[in-house]
Amino acid sequence: MLELLEKHPEFKISYSLTGVFMEQCRQFAPEVLESFSALAATGRVEFLSETYYHSLSYLFSDKDEFIEQVKLHSEAISKFATPSSVFRNTEAMFSNDIAYLAERLGYTGILAEGLDHILGWRSPTYLYSVKGCQKIKALLRHYRLSDDVGYRFSAKWWSEHPLTSDKYARWLAALGGDCVNIFMDYETFGEHHWVDTGIFEFLRHLPGEVSKHPHLAFATPSELAAKIPCRDEIDVPQVTSWADMERDTSAWLGNEMQRNAFSLVESIGEKVKQQKDGKLLRTWRMLQNSDHFYYMCTKSLSDQDVHNYFSPYDSPFDAYINYMNILQDFEAKVSEDERN
Amino acid sequence: MRVAMLGWEFPPFMSGGLGVHCYELSRALCRMGVEIDFFMPISGKKIEPPFPGLRIIEVAKTSLRPYLSFSKSGQNADYGKNLISAVNEYWDRCYDSVSFYSKEKPYDVLHAHDWLTSSAGVRLKSHLKVPLVQTFHSTEFDRTSWPWDYVLDIERSAAANADLLIAVSSRTKSQVMRLGADEGKIRVIYNGVDKSRFEQVKLEARALAELKKKKKVVLFLGRLTEQKGPVQFLHAAKRVLEKNPDVIFVVAGKGELLPLLINMTLDLGISSSVRFLGYVPDEDQQRIYKIADVYVMPSTSEPFGITALEAMSSGVPVIISKTSGVAEIVKSAIKVDFWDINAMATRILAVLKHETLARAMVSMSCREVSIYTWSKTAEETLRAYQEAIARK
Repeated sequence: MLELLEKHPEFKISYSLTGVFMEQCRQFAPEVLESFSALAATGRVEFLSETYYHSLSYLFSDKDEFIEQVKLHSEAISKFATPSSVFRNTEAMFSNDIAYLAERLGYTGILAEGLDHILGWRSPTYLYSVKGCQKIKALLRHYRLSDDVGYRFSAKWWSEHPLTSDKYARWLAALGGDCVNIFMDYETFGEHHWVDTGIFEFLRHLPGEVSKHPHLAFATPSELAAKIPCRDEIDVPQVTSWADMERDTSAWLGNEMQRNAFSLVESIGEKVKQQKDGKLLRTWRMLQNSDHFYYMCTKSLSDQDVHNYFSPYDSPFDAYINYMNILQDFEAKVSEDERN
Repeated sequence: MRVAMLGWEFPPFMSGGLGVHCYELSRALCRMGVEIDFFMPISGKKIEPPFPGLRIIEVAKTSLRPYLSFSKSGQNADYGKNLISAVNEYWDRCYDSVSFYSKEKPYDVLHAHDWLTSSAGVRLKSHLKVPLVQTFHSTEFDRTSWPWDYVLDIERSAAANADLLIAVSSRTKSQVMRLGADEGKIRVIYNGVDKSRFEQVKLEARALAELKKKKKVVLFLGRLTEQKGPVQFLHAAKRVLEKNPDVIFVVAGKGELLPLLINMTLDLGISSSVRFLGYVPDEDQQRIYKIADVYVMPSTSEPFGITALEAMSSGVPVIISKTSGVAEIVKSAIKVDFWDINAMATRILAVLKHETLARAMVSMSCREVSIYTWSKTAEETLRAYQEAIARK
């Protein structure tokens, strides 16, 4: 990425890093964190705001915990970059209420999945205001173009395979609208698609190919939110996300085990906070990570395979058992400390 | 299509998966228009063909049940002598009988099940010039830690001479390859389950209902042999009872390990929490799952494991060993290593403790078992027949 930024002065890119990820870098691979600092130093790399933990804390009925985690993240990013004025909730969870809360926290923009049922006939290539909010602008991920790279790049069954950077740049150039938000997992490069698929070559040539089209330019999310006006309003009463086919919260709270585990972790929050013990608080927050719930998913068909691919457990039941063992031990410890 | 199927048992004289398979497979095949002559040893009771398209031909007298302990002393020498002479007698009679009936109208395919029938199949194949399909429900490697060369040779011959081999799981396939079979002619066809037979069943015994008010029930069902893992089951039971004394462990089935297992419960100090039911007859097997809060199949080596599908059909959460054929297909069971007593105990405790977990497992497995039908098994078997005919 640094190579691209040096070679192409017009190139810009944004990252979304949780605090937990940065901690793990510090512990296991400090050079990765240094490389992010070097990227930040170019001034053309933005780090999106989010919760410190990859947590489902927004889904708690009391929003204080969520707000604290957002602040923690902002402090962590501030150590090497200016936190973005654009917010992204865990797994791109979005709704009118989330946008409203982000606006109250001072954000100018918020990222969401550009779902067809939200947009109707409209295109994700514009910015939208959000029902019930004053100023905040919604940046919608263009899921088709994002998945062309993130998901379909190495798919031999795909009619557009192989995807080259000049073809992709031509698709971008042919779009109408004010902007296009392409977001994908960082594992796209080298993990979901291995080196021999040509994914790195694709990336290496992309900025140059995009620059061949004079009406295209790179921008960070906060620049977009500052420059581009909203064209219309979206109304999203229910929480959406970019997870699974359903694009809602069912990947984490779709079955009874998940809801049971989640309500238990939520219910002990007050007791944990009363302890004023940093270590306990941190453990409790780690237990809010969406992945724990993701592993308990029992959906059938293709999504289940995706869940299994990422899961370290033999089955969703093992995931639940292990989580509940930890959580109930933890709860016992909190109660014990409370008595002392 | 006309098939001569060489079997060993048919309801109501079943000692395990082989009998269930033959019954359900031929029922589903007959429904698809296949005509089956089912050859088996004389059972001593009259068996009426239970569905059209099937004719049962009993050919030789035997009272032996190969996979049960049938000698009181449980000595291997007895097992060997009696069984081998009965099997040999069966092959001879089978050979004569199939040859005789093929004059009525020639068979398109011979289908033999396990080593008990396979040599008759091999001899008939060269005599009648009819393609032979051989199913392996298990191999000698699965049945014992000390494989017997005599049986292995029979299995090797079947693996070499049949036109197509059917293995009931991928793990059985790899065992069949150990017998020297060419991988290219092995097809993996999983067993199924008739879900409706199990889901309708109601628990009638009032005494059990009383028991269940106070205690949770963990069920083991299978022959009491090393292969089925009853020893591991009791070790796990001990760990469970240390944490939760309100659990009863029910061991259903009989076999040569029974005296050892009874002693084990005394040594472990858990005898008051373990019930040995002995052999459970056919009609009770359908009901027995209903008493369980969790079904455990801890087999050390299980070619398939139909009971896991039966328990799932009965609405019971299932814990199975990873070394089972059924573990290759089911997603809604908890899988453990048979030797990992601690993992087995924590999973049992968790299923008993978290109703949420038990409900989630049951609702997922109810959906899942409806995929594993005998019609699916029969369709794949029919395709194997056609392939064997084409290869000939």
